[in-house]
Amino acid sequence: MTLDTRFALTRGTFELNVDLSFNEGEVVAVMGPNGSGKSTFLHAIAGLLPVTTGSLVLDNQTLDEATREVFIDPTQRPVGIVVQGGLLFETMTILENIIFGLRARKIKRTDATHQAQPLINQFGLAELLERHPRELSGGQAQRVAIARALITAPKVLLLDEPMSGLDTTTRQLVRAEFREVLAGFAGYRILVTHDVDDALSMADRIIELDQGRVIWDGPTSEHRGKI
Amino acid sequence: MRQSPRHRQKLPWPILAIALLAVAFILSPFIGLLWRTPWSKFTDIVVKQEIRDALWLSLKTSLMTAILCVIFGVPLAWLLARVNFPGRRFIRALMTLSMVLPPVVGGIALLYTFGRRGLFGQYLDSWFGIRLPFTTTAVVMAQCFVAMPFLVLSVEAGLRQLDSRFEDVARTLGGSRWYVFRRVTLPSIKPSLIAGLVLAWARALGEFGATITFAGNLPDMTQTMPLATYAALDSNPESALILSLVMVAVAFSILIALRDRWLGRADQGPPL
Repeated sequence: MTLDTRFALTRGTFELNVDLSFNEGEVVAVMGPNGSGKSTFLHAIAGLLPVTTGSLVLDNQTLDEATREVFIDPTQRPVGIVVQGGLLFETMTILENIIFGLRARKIKRTDATHQAQPLINQFGLAELLERHPRELSGGQAQRVAIARALITAPKVLLLDEPMSGLDTTTRQLVRAEFREVLAGFAGYRILVTHDVDDALSMADRIIELDQGRVIWDGPTSEHRGKI
Repeated sequence: MRQSPRHRQKLPWPILAIALLAVAFILSPFIGLLWRTPWSKFTDIVVKQEIRDALWLSLKTSLMTAILCVIFGVPLAWLLARVNFPGRRFIRALMTLSMVLPPVVGGIALLYTFGRRGLFGQYLDSWFGIRLPFTTTAVVMAQCFVAMPFLVLSVEAGLRQLDSRFEDVARTLGGSRWYVFRRVTLPSIKPSLIAGLVLAWARALGEFGATITFAGNLPDMTQTMPLATYAALDSNPESALILSLVMVAVAFSILIALRDRWLGRADQGPPL
């Protein structure tokens, strides 16, 4: 099974043009400077931006194809996303954040809470459930964000600069944690980062983008670690 | 950065003096009002039927206006903040226009649009027998016309400040647009919504020009507190003073009631 992203996406004067295939089980780091199209790439996979030409196919299911006018809404895509800072919903408790994806699917609160127990235990969040996001440390917030993304059992896990904005010590802890999360997740794993250490320590394969084009694509072992 | 006490002593006195003059200018009319209020006649005047009618009509219509502003204004604010459509700048300019327009001009415009011979009013009358001018409905329409922009622009500003990536994340988690709006967007913009609501409500409560032009000055029908106050100034100045004082008290108590939710929110976290 593969995730095939062969598309162009135009936004104003910027054009992202990729022809990439991802294998289930591999951890891929997408790197590049600001404005290289990393986030746009993730947004296209998540369905937050439609492709301009070409297509996006996940396990033989077309998610987005411009010419055939196929577009699966972001709410219907099996894609989980974790972004910088976690972006937890400030007005909700931690528990409400975690079960958001289930509540959005009209699952009752008690059932959703029950369903969330394994993830709550896995990430050690039981003590935090009634707190609010502003009371959490950066590392804790990031763990909640991962649990929130995993609760809908996505096939694709997108990590968008998840470790930016954390201090060096927290970063190392979170990196170890992320490596564990990524190892425990069976689907497609794409990590967007501008930090070469993150990429080298976590990914099997590295893709480098520059100005919307792929300039490097290969196994981490062959990447010389400079960007 | 916090200023040290030493630094505070160096406050430039000309600025201080001018600022104090501004405060004195805003404060002194209230003192003047209190000074001239015939306290001994207060209860006699306040219990008068026409004054109770005016107060009740004001509260009823302004609350109705506030509700209508939210129902129609929040979706409009969302469109202005989140969707890039042709004519967006025109609509925003239109909102600002009706904010800076003298209300009496709004009243005339409403009269020639919804009046019996107006653009739409003639058909409302001949087809449905609906005559809007000089009714309580007209009071609410006049208030909505002047108050709506306050709510729209306040909520729009709140939406613009909210990082739209929160909504993006919520969408990827399976939230429909309506669900995301209700559960993520609306709670996050609550302070702006309340601020806009209070501004719109206050504007509606104080509405005079558009109301008297479009709805007239009929006791128990269209004579709201500001109209009753102005009418009383001619015939019975003492009533006018007391009515003014009642309006100050109503406005003040609403601000007090909302202070924790709105005014004091800057140093608190997001509402729970």
